[in-house]
Amino acid sequence: MGMPPGQERAAAAARIPRDLVIAGALLAFCAVTYGITLGFDEAPAAVAQNVQPATFPRLVLAAIAVLAAVLAVTSFRLDSPRKWPIKPMVPATAAMMVAFVVAFDTLGFIAAMGLFGLLMPVLWGERRWRLVIPYAVLFPAVVYVVFVLGLGVHFDPGLLGIN
Amino acid sequence: MDAFLAAGAAFLDPYLLGVVLVGTIGGVLVGAMPGLSSTMATALLLPFTLTMEPIPAIALLSALYCAGTYGGSITGILVNAPGAPPAAATAFDGYPLAQQGRAGLALGMAAVSSVIGGLFSVVVLIVAAPLLARVAYDFGPPEYFALALFGLSMLATISGESAVKNLIGGAFGVLLATIGMDFTTGVDRFTFGFWELSEGIHFIPVMIGLFAGCEFLTQAGKLDQVQIRAALDAVKLPAWADFRKCFGTIARSCGIGTFIGLLPAEGGTVAAMIGYNEAKRWAKDKSLFGKGDIRGVAGPEAANNAATGAAMVPTLALGIPGSATTAIILGALLVHGLRPGPHLFTETPTLLYAIFLAMLLANIVFGVFGLIGAKLFARVTLIPIRFLWPSVFIMACIGAYALEQSVLDVWIMVGAGLLGFVLKRYGFAAAPIIMGLILGELVENSLKQSLIIFDHDWLRFLDRPIVVSFLLLTAVSAFWPVVSAWRARRAAAAAAE
Repeated sequence: MGMPPGQERAAAAARIPRDLVIAGALLAFCAVTYGITLGFDEAPAAVAQNVQPATFPRLVLAAIAVLAAVLAVTSFRLDSPRKWPIKPMVPATAAMMVAFVVAFDTLGFIAAMGLFGLLMPVLWGERRWRLVIPYAVLFPAVVYVVFVLGLGVHFDPGLLGIN
Repeated sequence: MDAFLAAGAAFLDPYLLGVVLVGTIGGVLVGAMPGLSSTMATALLLPFTLTMEPIPAIALLSALYCAGTYGGSITGILVNAPGAPPAAATAFDGYPLAQQGRAGLALGMAAVSSVIGGLFSVVVLIVAAPLLARVAYDFGPPEYFALALFGLSMLATISGESAVKNLIGGAFGVLLATIGMDFTTGVDRFTFGFWELSEGIHFIPVMIGLFAGCEFLTQAGKLDQVQIRAALDAVKLPAWADFRKCFGTIARSCGIGTFIGLLPAEGGTVAAMIGYNEAKRWAKDKSLFGKGDIRGVAGPEAANNAATGAAMVPTLALGIPGSATTAIILGALLVHGLRPGPHLFTETPTLLYAIFLAMLLANIVFGVFGLIGAKLFARVTLIPIRFLWPSVFIMACIGAYALEQSVLDVWIMVGAGLLGFVLKRYGFAAAPIIMGLILGELVENSLKQSLIIFDHDWLRFLDRPIVVSFLLLTAVSAFWPVVSAWRARRAAAAAAE
């Protein structure tokens, strides 16, 4: 059962526009970034030629702030569409992306790739082991042949010393 | 003429021919794969071209660009999942045609109209780029500043959730470009004590992250979607009657696509949408549009391929990207030590002619392969995404790492991917950020040089006619969405009365 149309309209009117929230976040970002520019070293006038290192970033921040204000004003008339809910698989995949780079840095690229090739399809619901295992073995092997032996890309061997 | 002959002679080398062939077939394949666009493929491939000579490297990326734009139509027609954004309009009528058992006709028309559009635009590129470059000889820093500003303002008119968000994205990209040491003073900015950031953020890891990393996360949210494949009959050339029916549409779309492509920041997606709308607007019988009108395939396909060559005109002649993919090709020119602009035409004319020839060749090759191999290319959609996208992510990591062999770049790529996903969710597209990042240095340097020339008198920008023209165009393009929204509201109100 949905709300009656009158209530629905009232609820929509009471809701804070999504773009207004985005504009607020942008203005906060501009304020924080402006604060960071205050910490930039000043260059001697002869070197800076009247354009200090902070001048241009501040100009760009001012432009973003003005555009954010426009976004805030227009949000009452034309808001952005409602966002789709994020499925749990998205943050899980994001965590795997970060874990892959950590493994890349510690275990070494080839080992990290083998692990990622094994775990990622399984995380995404693949249960055909006769495909997953050859993929986890063959894909790193192909990458090794093409990039390490073929193109001369050097990967650190990592803790496991595989390279 | 000598340069043209030298470029032609370079194409007698089987290696260069092979590179263009691989780029073309690879372009059609990645274009056909939903989610994998030619933009992402060029971003992924760019770091690996660094070990190549400039001519094969740029020829490879250019061929990939041309073929990828066409490749998107294959899955747009067969699966109703456009492989790339420029093919979205093709699916409006292509998929209904495929459902009617006329997939061959739709694919054949897509190939033929793409080739015509592509070849037309390459001819325009060959003629217009040197002319524009000659004009650009008179440009000084103020003109380049105004031109870059115009390029950024055009972001307001590209497709996306909102014009304002596109402009914010562009400005954010410019801000990212300020990370690192200020080139005039040597002062570090936004480096937070990390000496690795003093050289600035390289655009390649950011670009790969924003396109490939972000798409990896997007695909994670689509794992339960099932694609329904339409039956494919034999791919056949459109009959003369079909061609006659579409001749006007193709000719019009060639013009539209070329014009849109010439504008900075615009690209195949906008061209295809306008090409489709114009095909429908000019048709006497509009009743079949959306239900399987062959003109609804010919219009957008000719337009999006006509935009490819045209988008290279401002990229090569002025150093202002004509589209997201040409922004990456511009980046490729820069990392190969080439500065796009008028000097490219005097210093490395052989390279330019080689690019022209590579694009001509790519258009012919994808036309032939499209006609005989569309059924085969369509099979890329059978690759399970549970294996495909993890592989793409690993390739993205290798691409980011290979540039400087630095893990920091991989972190930057992953960070850009996560940020890109969040930004996309709130309506900020990746392309404007990339445009801003690539144009950022030009904007800052040309502004600083101009201020020094003008002794910090901002009003003196108005003394220069070219600058004034670009500033007027900037104002028009920035406010164009407001004007078009007002016109649409007025038309709707008039229709309601």
